[in-house]
Amino acid sequence: MASSASKRLFKEYKGLSSDAPEGITAGPVTEDDMFLWEALIQGPEGTPFEGGVFPAELKFPKDYPLAPPSMRFLVDVWHPNVYPNGQVCISILHPPGDDPNHYEQASERWSPIQSVEKILISVMSMLAEPNDESPANVEAAKMWREKRADYEKVVRDNVRKSLGL
Amino acid sequence: MDSSFELPDSTDWHATSLPLFEPLEAALRCEVCKEFYDNPVITSCSHTFCSICIRRCISTDGKCPTCRAACQSDKLLPNYAMREIVSKFQDARPKALELARKDKEVSDASSESKKRKLGDTDIEEEPARQTRSRQARTQSRRREGTNGMPIEVPDSEDDGDDSFEPEVEGHVKCPACKESMLDAQLWHHLDVCPGLENSAVGRSTRSSANNTYPKSLQSRPKEPSPAPTRLPGLNYAMMKQNALTKKLQDLGIPTWGKKDLLIRRHTEWMHLWNSNCDAVENRKSKRELLRELEVWEKTQGGSANIAEPKVMRKDFDGQAHASTHKSQFDGLIANAKRKREAAKAKKEEETNEDREKEEARLNEGIPQITEPEAIPQPVDVVHPYEGNEAALASVREKVEQANRVGTTLPSTTSPKPTLEETRIASQAYQGMPNPFGSPTRKVPMFALPADPIVDVEQSTTIQ
Ligand SMILES: [Zn+2]
Ligand SMILES: [Zn+2]
Ligand SMILES: [Zn+2]
Repeated sequence: MASSASKRLFKEYKGLSSDAPEGITAGPVTEDDMFLWEALIQGPEGTPFEGGVFPAELKFPKDYPLAPPSMRFLVDVWHPNVYPNGQVCISILHPPGDDPNHYEQASERWSPIQSVEKILISVMSMLAEPNDESPANVEAAKMWREKRADYEKVVRDNVRKSLGL
Repeated sequence: MDSSFELPDSTDWHATSLPLFEPLEAALRCEVCKEFYDNPVITSCSHTFCSICIRRCISTDGKCPTCRAACQSDKLLPNYAMREIVSKFQDARPKALELARKDKEVSDASSESKKRKLGDTDIEEEPARQTRSRQARTQSRRREGTNGMPIEVPDSEDDGDDSFEPEVEGHVKCPACKESMLDAQLWHHLDVCPGLENSAVGRSTRSSANNTYPKSLQSRPKEPSPAPTRLPGLNYAMMKQNALTKKLQDLGIPTWGKKDLLIRRHTEWMHLWNSNCDAVENRKSKRELLRELEVWEKTQGGSANIAEPKVMRKDFDGQAHASTHKSQFDGLIANAKRKREAAKAKKEEETNEDREKEEARLNEGIPQITEPEAIPQPVDVVHPYEGNEAALASVREKVEQANRVGTTLPSTTSPKPTLEETRIASQAYQGMPNPFGSPTRKVPMFALPADPIVDVEQSTTIQ
């Protein structure tokens, strides 16, 4: 007997497998466990992330979709909204009650009607447009603000490295 | 017994001649659980959810998941119209889906033979056909739909339409309810068939889509219903554990565990019980509710550490999906590598320049100076997004478009990555501590493709 959480995750998986947005792929690591997913996100064109492919893992709570998953990149992503350990920090991954950053609009935060697809699309736009108001990676945010060329170089180097070039 | 269930959902309409039924069906499904509305209720902000879903949401944060307005569970009202529409749609669904699938096969077959004639003289046609097929067909279908092409959907209440039903190979009819199904599904179906009684009155809430639901979801035996008296909320903070234990005992639900677990269990029981009170017909018995509480206990409650049962395995052709994934992943990676290599020489030059500058700075011992934003950037430093509203808008548009329109993932024109290349790409992920690097961990998506990646996007790839 499956929980409502795993059924809903399974439906999202089915939907994404048949009809994923461009540049996004996601699904459970093994079908024995619907609560651990792996995703690949393509770097948006026209950004220093362009040409890169960024693997990440998503961990879902047992009461999903009441609470959001957590997401962590598995390669180095130099970005104001990504912690040095890869953890992604954007508003859609925060439940409405939990507001560590204060700047976030409640409407942008997690709600049970959000989805894995919306998260991954938000992460894609986050790569293109960092939010440096309350950064997860202070160094990266500072560099993004003050030394944009250096920031882009680090990002591009990481992309190259991650592709083994 | 054949147990190849599937979990039906709105994407089932994709590969049919009625793609517009996808949004229709999606509108009949709860946004929280993605199932057809079960005992739909309307909130004071006029949003509709399954009774159980909104009750769980409200106890989590007291807000409507759609509009964030404050919600109270005692203000929920049953949405009878939605209940009726969902029920009738579920009745009509299996036949409509079957017809729309057949219709699609027929039209595919005819366009296939047309294409083949063209293909004799036009080699370029081949890759285009593979990639565009779905979208192009969807569009042409849509046009036909709006041009008033008659779409016949059998009326589920019309019991005399047997002749209308197409004979499908390998399908048999249930002797009791006349539902058509795969041979292999019949035995399972007979266990749960609503029987002549229901098909005659045509009012089974769980419809003939029943045979695709897990058994536990569909059987609604006619047992005495619990009295439709809602359970009141408890002020847990004011209650000692003993009092709470006594309360749970009186309700007839398990009493083991710490106070926190007792509270969560009571809350869930209240949701199950009160949402069952919103049911108009086929109300569940207390025994069924207790079984549902047991599922909760195993998946979210006190026994939740036990691994999730492997129900999904039989629901789903995992192999097929894993291989789909694999080729998508391989496609993304190969595509990225190819683009990178193309740009490599240029990028390398830039990098060298950057490095020289860096070294020059270091040698001179001068700290790096921040360039003021206002100074125009050197030509070789590209900041395509900075202050570039047009570019940002285009990203936003793409993102929105991706959200709106389903597009196939871009594949690659380069030959499939060699074993070595793929290995390198996978290794590259280990640039940081990587739990995926564990040798015991299955990573089907990165498995090597058995067949070469099909070259599907040739006509549109931008070099
Ligand atoms: Zn629901
Ligand atoms: Zn609302
Ligand atoms: Zn039957």
